[in-house]
Parts: sequence; structure tokens; C-alpha cells
Amino acid sequence: MNLPDVLTSIFSQTAFTWANALMLVVGCILIYLAVVKEYEPVLLLPIGFGCILANLGMSVYNPDSFLKVIYDAGIKTELFPLLIFIGVGAMIDFRPLLAQPQMVLLGAAGQFGIFGALILAVLIGFPLNQAASIGVIGAIDGPTAIFVTSKLAPSLLGPIAVAAYSYMSLIPIIQPPIMRLLTTRKERLVKMEYTPRPVSSKIVIAFPIVVTIAVSLVAPAAAPLIATLMLGNLLREAGVVERLNKSAQNEIINIATLFLGLAIGATMTADKFIYDPVTGFQWQTLMILVLGLIAFILDTVMGLLFGKLMCWLSGGKINPLIGACGISAFPMAARLSAKMALEEDYDNFILMHAMGSNTAGQLGSVIAGGVLLAIVSKVLGVG
Amino acid sequence: MKYNVKIGEKSFEVLIEDINKRPIVAHVNGQEFLVNPEVESQENDQADQKKSPNLPEHIGNSTMKDGKLIAPLPGTVIEIFVKPGDEVEAGQVVLIIEAMKMKNSIRSTKDGIVAAVLVNAGDTVGTKQTLVEFQA
Repeated sequence: MNLPDVLTSIFSQTAFTWANALMLVVGCILIYLAVVKEYEPVLLLPIGFGCILANLGMSVYNPDSFLKVIYDAGIKTELFPLLIFIGVGAMIDFRPLLAQPQMVLLGAAGQFGIFGALILAVLIGFPLNQAASIGVIGAIDGPTAIFVTSKLAPSLLGPIAVAAYSYMSLIPIIQPPIMRLLTTRKERLVKMEYTPRPVSSKIVIAFPIVVTIAVSLVAPAAAPLIATLMLGNLLREAGVVERLNKSAQNEIINIATLFLGLAIGATMTADKFIYDPVTGFQWQTLMILVLGLIAFILDTVMGLLFGKLMCWLSGGKINPLIGACGISAFPMAARLSAKMALEEDYDNFILMHAMGSNTAGQLGSVIAGGVLLAIVSKVLGVG
Repeated sequence: MKYNVKIGEKSFEVLIEDINKRPIVAHVNGQEFLVNPEVESQENDQADQKKSPNLPEHIGNSTMKDGKLIAPLPGTVIEIFVKPGDEVEAGQVVLIIEAMKMKNSIRSTKDGIVAAVLVNAGDTVGTKQTLVEFQA
């Protein structure tokens, strides 16, 4: 057998197509964004590498692939997003929210985009289960988006996870123009008095327990997400399990993130993402990315409009910029709002208010995801 | 864009992010400065702020009060750039407070001479705690 024949036989065995080659480029772009641009590197790097592996025959759809083992163990069972939430909970300080409970309103307003994008996706022709999964991208909460999607529309996990995490990393690019467009300079200059109510350590410890019980009773579908988030927070605030707190913030979330990223990347095969020899071009991937972006923009817009309403109702005492961080993506969104205010006036510190709104947004997106899951499961008669 | 600026004997490495943006973000030997070259318009902005009926002077988290620099938010002082006797200009970074893992440059809003620095690097500070006193 001569060399060309050997090569042909090797390539025919691996079933490598031009679409796979294109996906290798996509994987490399994700890795480039992670390494060079430092866009959510902890996630985009494993997703990018997983994507490359998926198109070299190691996808989660190959029963012999080690990535299928990881996928079945952690994504199918919804375990990884929950483990990540233990770490996220341990990283969140809810004091700014507990000191300014009115911020809960902004965290709720930031979730409307989810439902707006859902309606849009249904109008375009996506079935309800897929539309709901796409809408959740708007909350910019990766674990919640993956949790909801793995229950409702597992076939869309790849594009939805990529959209959620890419847009999370693009917050500093996507949000500022919207913030400038929807607020006047005068509004951005509004200074907010920071007179927090004193928050006792009893309240800080009771909070995660009370929220877990309340949310689990009201929105059972969101219970696992809220329970793990609050478990992490309890580890942080209890003050007696520093080792567990540190593990949650480091080892647990890091290991779960690595395997979640790899497994999600390994769903991104060419036939699901770009071109399937049987069903043709996968336009839905592009549609998901576009609809996800719309969902994110709608969430930001609704948060800002609600911030403006609160500004008006309070007689100009609330800076509407903090409405934009009523999404999830803690704490990046809050830092961005604080930075926008500082850019207008170096003596205007709204960070603590933004953190209050942002932690409310984190809670809100989990609850909204759970509510959506419950409604859609009921409508479709599953679960 | 990177520049090397020499003033007297001292040389400074200045990194300017985007010259067309306002304020211009300049990193001088690693420290961040926000520069508004159009001073006149900046003064107008401040005047606008004072005129605004929604912004009475007692409202807000302003860092300067009665010749004192006060903490606008709770956090940890991680770096202090002044010592007693130093002349400080309006807009100059006096110290950095890290709050919620974000570094906040606390700037003087007036020209003045530092009388006393009441905190040390590493100190945890509460809202409205006096950080630096200026000479009357």
C-alpha cells in the first residue's frame, strides 16, 4: 500500500469532514479568546479544547469516548452546574443586598429579558422547550442556563453554553453602549448615599437557610440550584468551616468548571453546530447565538428602565446604572456599573449599591430559571 | 500607546489606553490616572452637578467633608500614596480601597496639604471613616 492510499484509508476511517475542520478553527478561536483576550479563560479554554476533541472523534456522542463518561456523570445528571454553584455561593457576599433589601426589585427586573427572548424564539419557530433554554441565556448565568437546558433541550447544550459564557465575558463590551444610550449624563452622575442597615452575623447565617427553605417551597424546580448556592454561602458565612469554604471557592468549583467546560465543548460536533449531512446547515446555532444576545440586551434594557423608574420614584436618589447589573454574572456586572459611574465622576462610588443589585440578580436568575423550568415542564407535560 | 516621560531626574513610564476617550485612562508606573484634558468642560460638569435640584450637597457618597477625606465605601486600604506635608491636587489618587475585590482609587476633590494620614495599608475601614486630614 503506498502513502496516499494509507492516508486516504486513515481519513476515511476518522470520517473527518470540512465541517469538522471548521469546528477545529472554532475551538482554536475560543482558546485564543481565553488566552490572548482573557475572556472567561477558565471556561472558554476547556470548552475550546473540548470542541477540538469532539471533532477528532472524542465527542460525547461516541460511546467509547472518555468525554462521554464525564458528560454522563456531570452534565446529564446536572451535577456540575450544582457543584459550581457551591463555589459561587461561597464567593458571594450578600451583605450589600441585606443592607439594602430594596435592591431585590432590580434583581427581579433584570430577568424580564428571559421571557422576552422566549416569546421571540417561539415566534421564530423554536419549540417551547428550546425557546425557554435560549431565553435563559439572557440572565448571563452559565450554570443556570446549563441546568435548565440539560433538562429541557439537551441537544442545544453546546451553543447555549457557549453563548452564555461568551456573552458573560463580553459584558464590558455589550453593556456600556446600552447604558449610555438609555441613561442621561445627569442620571449617571447621581450619587447614592451608602447608609447600610447594620447586618448582624445572625442574619447573614440565617439568610441562606431561610432562602433555601422559602425558594424550595415556592419554586421547587429551582431548589437544587438555590440549595447549592446557599450551601456555599453558608460555608462562607458560618465562620467555623473555613477549610470547606476554601475548598468550595477553589478545588470544588475549579474541578467542576474544568470538566463542565470539557464536556460542553465535547458536545460541539460539526454535525450539531454547522452542517449535518442529513439535515443540512444547522442555522439554529446562529439563531441561538443571536437570540441569546437579544435576551441579554433585553435583560440589560429592562434592568436599566427599572433603574430609571426607581430613580424617578425616589426623587433622583437612585443611580439607574445599578439597574444594568440586575442580571447575574456576579460580580463583573456590578463592577462595570461602578466603573461607568466613576468614569463620569471620579468621586461617585456606587459599587456597594451595584453589588446589592447584582447579588439580587444572581438570586433572581436562579429563581427565574427554576420558574421557567417548572412552567415549561408543566405545559409540555414532562417531569 | 507607551511613553517615557522624564521630569527632572525621574523618568515615568506612561501607558495611555485610548487618547480619544474621556476621561483618558493613563497608567503611570503601574498606577491608574483618569485625565480630563478639557478642564473647562469639567468645571461646567461640576457646576451642573451643584445646580441639579436632585443633588443637594448632603446627599451622596462624596469623599471630601470638612477638610477630611472619608471612606465612600467599606473595604481594605491596600495602598497609600501620601504622607503628612504632601501637597495634593484635586483629582490626585490619595489611596486605594479594595472593596468586593475591586480596587477603588480614592481621590482628593480639592487642592490641599496633608495634615495626617489616619489609616495604614492593610487596615479595614468602614463607610464614612476618616482616612486623611488636610490642613485647614
